Amino acid sequence: MRDVATEEQLVLAQRKAAQSDPMKNLAPSNVADPAVLNPPQDLLSQSDIVCFGGIATLVPKHAILQIPETYAERLKFASGAQIIGWAEFYAANRGWITTVEISRVQAEGKEPIAADTRKQLTQCRNLVVATYLGGPISLLPPKVAPAATAGTSTKSTEPIKP
Amino acid sequence: MNAIPLRLVPALLATCALAQGQTYTNFIRQIQLPSGVQWDATVAASGSQLSALAINPGGANFQLWTVLSSPLTNYLLASAYVSTYAPLATVVVRSEDPYLTIPRTRADRPFWVDLTISGLLTGASNPAASESVTLMHYVQSYGTGGTGLNLDRTQATLLSQASVTTNGLQTLTYTANSVPGAVRTKVRGEERFSVFSIADYQAPASQLASQFIQIWPVADGSIAGITQGMLIRFTVPQLTLTLNDLYPTSTTYAQVYMGNPVLGTVGTVVPGSALVISDTVPNSRVLTVKGYDQVFPSDGLWTMELLTTTPFGTDRLAYVTFTVQRIISMNTNFATDE
Repeated sequence: MRDVATEEQLVLAQRKAAQSDPMKNLAPSNVADPAVLNPPQDLLSQSDIVCFGGIATLVPKHAILQIPETYAERLKFASGAQIIGWAEFYAANRGWITTVEISRVQAEGKEPIAADTRKQLTQCRNLVVATYLGGPISLLPPKVAPAATAGTSTKSTEPIKP
Repeated sequence: MNAIPLRLVPALLATCALAQGQTYTNFIRQIQLPSGVQWDATVAASGSQLSALAINPGGANFQLWTVLSSPLTNYLLASAYVSTYAPLATVVVRSEDPYLTIPRTRADRPFWVDLTISGLLTGASNPAASESVTLMHYVQSYGTGGTGLNLDRTQATLLSQASVTTNGLQTLTYTANSVPGAVRTKVRGEERFSVFSIADYQAPASQLASQFIQIWPVADGSIAGITQGMLIRFTVPQLTLTLNDLYPTSTTYAQVYMGNPVLGTVGTVVPGSALVISDTVPNSRVLTVKGYDQVFPSDGLWTMELLTTTPFGTDRLAYVTFTVQRIISMNTNFATDE
């Protein structure tokens, strides 16, 4: 047991600590602060919230591929809801959430989702979430196709009449 | 594409319920660079596993977040950047408080930073990014009465930086915190230690590891109702115990014992004065206590102390010495008249 620390004690301790900063034992550095150049973003701002029945979960932005109007309200966090992991949330809400397994290359937008899958999605009335091995994953927009090669879609000019 | 296996080490349980019903849920997010694809791996509550999402040459950032449901808040607990030749780094901030969810301590207590670097190379032909990393130390105040809720961490102040060129474990000992604040006993905020790779042509300076510790103020308290040197006769006065900034995990109470104040004396707890706090932030309370006569079995000189017990030990916040005198002495003369 001891008496609670006083202001004077802590002021003195801080002065001493400032003189013996353990960082001074390492090699000096003077680089631009990477956190300023490339500020970190928080999880909530990089996620969409799916909420229903008093529970909610987070998925990366662009992981939700289809939002039926019926379920649009379920993408807002309801005050008092309990945040849980994706697996647990999905297990409890399979009735209205459908997942589409995509590959890493598809997630990067380098390869389109199979036509059959896209066709099924258009007929699906559930909320659709892209997943990779069961975990929600963002799906980037397809990369712009490289310039078309001659003969594929070029339109010939009218020949010059003599 | 390189498929670089990575061990994900969820340092914490996936869900951690606190005593007051607050629940944190942890997420591990993998962010692919430079594409920006984000993936939430499904992980067990504890243990380790390989990341199933192959890492591109630009690397990937792994972030361990914990999310509080009410109010909806997220905290970055740890992060790691992995790429072809970037060194690996871990930062662990330790304190005397065994609380698992977020490292935390009190303004008057020390803490330690364990910095482990591996994979640094030496040699003229190696890229600069493989030969050293930069350790950054940031500090940020929560402000008066602040709890860190909705804190804009981009406003943190870079206090110092250093270059690390050797592999292995280094422990930095901090005997005092550096959270900005004029009143040192009442500072509240956080200190963050982040390791960044050196920028090169393939990737910008990326955060290899980062962890922060919360610093909470020193509690203070006062006893009102009994004053120093007071004489208590027949009824004990009503007590008002004012308690400020009680540590998130603490037990606070008043005790009495006979005699002058002697630090370390174990006395009798005053009924109705005990307050148990199990929270994520400090608490302030005012307690009213009355009808505690039974703690004074005999007359004499007594001391009342206000104590708070935390993971750092027991601190005496206030004390007062007084006299209890409940026996009435009567001086009378008896005489007979015959």
